[in-house]
Amino acid sequence: MNLFYDGSFEGFLSLIYEVYHQKMNVTTILKKNPHKFIFDEVLHVETDLSKAHKVFSSLKKRFSKNDINTIVRVFLCDSITFEMCLLEFIILGFKKNENLQNINYPSVFYIKGLEKEHMRLTHKMLGFVRFEELEDKTFYAKIETKFNVLMFLGEHFSKRLGNNPFIIHDIKRHLAYVKHEDMKEIRDVASFDEPLYSQDEAKFKSLWKNFFHSVAITNRTNIKLQKNLVPLVYRTYMSEFHD
Amino acid sequence: MKLTIDDKISILADGAKYDVSCSSSGSESNYKTGELGNTHNSGICHTFTSDGRCVSLLKVLLSNVCIYDCAYCINRVSNDIRRTAFTPRELADITLNFYKRNYIEGLFLSSGIIKNEDHTMLLLLQTLRILRHEHKFNGYIHVKLIPGSAKELIAEACLLANRVSSNIELPSSKSLALLAPDKTKAKLLEPLKHAREITMERNAKPISMSTQMIIGATGESDFDILKLSSALYDKALLKRVYYSAYIAVNNHKNLPVRELSTPPLKREHRLYQADWLLRFYGFKYDEIVTPQNQNLDIQFDPKTFWALSNLHLFPVDINKVSQEILMRIPGIGMRGAMKILQARKFKTLNFEDLVKLKISIKKAKYFIIADKNYQKQIPLYEDRLKIALMHNDKSIIQPNLFDFSIYTGEL
Repeated sequence: MNLFYDGSFEGFLSLIYEVYHQKMNVTTILKKNPHKFIFDEVLHVETDLSKAHKVFSSLKKRFSKNDINTIVRVFLCDSITFEMCLLEFIILGFKKNENLQNINYPSVFYIKGLEKEHMRLTHKMLGFVRFEELEDKTFYAKIETKFNVLMFLGEHFSKRLGNNPFIIHDIKRHLAYVKHEDMKEIRDVASFDEPLYSQDEAKFKSLWKNFFHSVAITNRTNIKLQKNLVPLVYRTYMSEFHD
Repeated sequence: MKLTIDDKISILADGAKYDVSCSSSGSESNYKTGELGNTHNSGICHTFTSDGRCVSLLKVLLSNVCIYDCAYCINRVSNDIRRTAFTPRELADITLNFYKRNYIEGLFLSSGIIKNEDHTMLLLLQTLRILRHEHKFNGYIHVKLIPGSAKELIAEACLLANRVSSNIELPSSKSLALLAPDKTKAKLLEPLKHAREITMERNAKPISMSTQMIIGATGESDFDILKLSSALYDKALLKRVYYSAYIAVNNHKNLPVRELSTPPLKREHRLYQADWLLRFYGFKYDEIVTPQNQNLDIQFDPKTFWALSNLHLFPVDINKVSQEILMRIPGIGMRGAMKILQARKFKTLNFEDLVKLKISIKKAKYFIIADKNYQKQIPLYEDRLKIALMHNDKSIIQPNLFDFSIYTGEL
């Protein structure tokens, strides 16, 4: 059976509900309407909030907090097709909770690996995000990441930047984490204009670049190692790599 | 000619760059609502320089003016270089602005000796006071203790900083006398001992401290170096010892000739590997190096070399042995050992299972039994294994420069 759903977390939970109650034998799960399966049997699973809610509350009853975090993290790996493995992972967990510790199951191993990849990306981004100060003293950062890590970045910087308002803008996903005084939330960004930067911004960028080039030891130059540690995809918004 | 602030940061970062410590880890989060900054337990790397080193802290000198004349140091008084200094306020301002832009985890502050030790330490403390008290900055601060400065100044530094350090510089008193006549080992270790005493009095947990040794400027063997590191770890005096391959910046009658000297990077790499074995893998220094075999092997990593010299302990059965033994198998690290422990609860693991768990068996396969199987092509003799290891594992011949923790990028 081929299934497709709308790509939302609620949609995926609704899908689990249908699979369980109709005892489906699933072969593929897709996020979009699949034109190429036109002659196969394809079922569109409608997102149903009450069904999603039922599934989530039984997940909470039967799964540990850590396992639920794993499921959420994996779901945020949105550029990858993880659905079949995640479905199997959840079925295994419902059968017997202990299964989720057994990394000899390929799906458990894969899901745990994907979770770690998401964590590593989050951790890298904690260091590689660059804020710029705007005219109104808001700190503004643009990001483009393989997975959705916005929530984790937002929480980290809420603890870090004190009373300074900040915005982290996920360009490709059209989302922004906005923190201003007591308000913090993730918003959709329909369109945006290039903002105005504060007067000091250029000065500190230049100091940073000078610092960055001065701390390198030329006798030990190793560009390959540097590329492994900061792959080019991360450098788009890191000013030290641009002239 | 008056120097601009851009000139200053270039000069003072250049003067500090030979200090290899970059870590910002090991401090529990200390977040307070509405205040600027916190620390992250695993440390965060913000970028990597063209030599592949992590940038985590704003690592600068407050001043590169120095009254000392240590032979190996770029800032020695007899060198004709541009001299400058930040004011404490200037530096605090840069730190805060770098921090808010997420360039850094905090400040790593050191200095040449201006006028005298106390005066210098006081200037460093002033910078810290501005950050901690005026701006309520809770980010990471690592400050150098100036050997020979007053005890109450060291006490204050321990209160304000997350980590303090003082560099041993050279692994023996003899070398110090040759190259840094103004310093002695006792004098260099004194601030560390003192800092430990003070923080122990205040609470149970001593402040985190580190030191650095220059490798290859003088004649000490790896045995001498690891013995010293091991003593420093055993007494729980230090959290980290850093090794810095000697980079010739000066000519001096007691130093290798500058034009002919290349930094001994491979040796440094092997020392870091050995250091890891000391700190995390339960090895003793005299298992890794011995009075007969004073230096680490360049071709094989220290663990493989140890295993080759102790073949009577192998092969081991990965389904039975304890975590300590698993971690002694060449090519199996902490993560690999954890995976094996977790997976073998559910089934008896064979070679194929190890591959599925993405555990590299390139080296390990010669040393293990898995589900009654072991590799039969190469007999368990030192010379045969050496050849086999050399040919099938190219990375032994071309090691990465550094060992990095995936999470922190720390050396």
